[in-house]
Amino acid sequence: MRVANVFLLGVVVAVGVVGCSDKTNPRVATKLNQDAMLVGDLPANPLQGRVITSWIDKRNATMSTMFGNDVAVQNARTKAVVPYPVGAVLSVVTWGQQEDARWFGGNIPKGVKAVEFVTVTAPGAYSYERFEGLPLKKVASGEGGDPADRAGYLMSVRAAVMP
Amino acid sequence: MIVVAASRIRTLVWVAVIFAVGFLCLQLVRPTLTNPPVTAELQAPPEVRQILRNSCYNCHSNETQLPWFDKVVPAYWLVTSDVKEARKHLNFSEIGKLPAAQQKAFLFEAVNMIQLGAMPLPSYLRVHPGAAVTPEQLAVLRNYLIAPADLDATAAAEAAIRAASASSAADAEYDKWVHTSNVAMDVKPEFNGVAYIPDYKNWKVISSTDRFDNHTMREILGNDVAVKAIAEGHINPWPDGTTFAKVTWAQTQPDVNGFVKTGAFVQVELMVKDATKYASTEGWGFGRWRGTELKPYGKDAGFQNECTSCHAPMAKNDYVYTMPIGGQQ
Repeated sequence: MRVANVFLLGVVVAVGVVGCSDKTNPRVATKLNQDAMLVGDLPANPLQGRVITSWIDKRNATMSTMFGNDVAVQNARTKAVVPYPVGAVLSVVTWGQQEDARWFGGNIPKGVKAVEFVTVTAPGAYSYERFEGLPLKKVASGEGGDPADRAGYLMSVRAAVMP
Repeated sequence: MIVVAASRIRTLVWVAVIFAVGFLCLQLVRPTLTNPPVTAELQAPPEVRQILRNSCYNCHSNETQLPWFDKVVPAYWLVTSDVKEARKHLNFSEIGKLPAAQQKAFLFEAVNMIQLGAMPLPSYLRVHPGAAVTPEQLAVLRNYLIAPADLDATAAAEAAIRAASASSAADAEYDKWVHTSNVAMDVKPEFNGVAYIPDYKNWKVISSTDRFDNHTMREILGNDVAVKAIAEGHINPWPDGTTFAKVTWAQTQPDVNGFVKTGAFVQVELMVKDATKYASTEGWGFGRWRGTELKPYGKDAGFQNECTSCHAPMAKNDYVYTMPIGGQQ
């Protein structure tokens, strides 16, 4: 009797090991991060540019990625000293953060908090635009040459090392 | 009629006897499974350890206690090989000798394997339902890992010194890179033959991560094939030719604005999709190049086992962890 039971158990274990469940863990289910999409009327799509660097604001739980057009990227990656040349366009997307459902220990982008553009229009002169909201709407714009303001700060951020 | 029935029964009895004898003989084929001494058990609060003890220790420690039905062949063969494999990957009886941060890194991975339903092995759970981690137990593990490390004054001072030296090293690394980034480097392919692709830095960003578990930050980039697949919604399976690059930097100390920036370059990793060429590694060619020297990771092609075992829980998402940001063009 005991032997028969044991044999049966052996079979059950073997079937259990070989068989597999069809249920997909919701964390694994295939999907795009729609929360982090850029929705609104932007002069250009920053995600079409190339990455220059990124940063995280731990206090406000946001994460930003700075992109550039060809002129900006070429400058950022080969010259330690900014100023950016005329024609350079920097764009910065700042997202809120959410826990990465697929990796506890990581945060990934949530809704877009702001999109900013800095365009160098003439030596030492640039325009600045800022978009917020859902859909994204222009909330600030200006021209200037004051390196102490937000645009100046963005232009001073150095590129991330990408060998 | 009766004669035929009796002979059939006899045959059946003989078959049963042969099976039973064969089964009993198989019991003698027993690979050894011992419990080596516990040399350095994981350092964690008792409530954390209790959960691991109940759900993980039977395979991931030197304190394996098999119930009687696990000692019966063929179950015993499976269990023995699972335990040996499990201990190789993570042994709670021996990781106490590692730095606290590394012990926590193992726990982060453990929590992820639990959350993704990969651990305890579903096949194991079917036979050992008591090993399941309840949502409450999972919360205990997560809360322990989220809590900031409790540094004493000495440890805090040491951390500050490390941060300062890391910062100046990162500055030097940047200065060197920014003046030489135009020069093509001679980078070796990975041990599995996957080639380094210097153009990764010009691909499109598909996501980014803030990895507070190991104080790094990452940008995930995709080549044109990947971006097109995202735009068209064909990401499971990803088409052949899809290539991802994940670039990792150390997180710096917060600057005057409270921002944490990209510090020292840690590595770039590639995943190249070719369902035929890379059939033995789930259709992906994996590669990792460490440091600004871009040294291929690993000692031989065996390094791929680390990649595939970590990506296994994502099997139903074509082995990809990254959830791409929507709206690609």
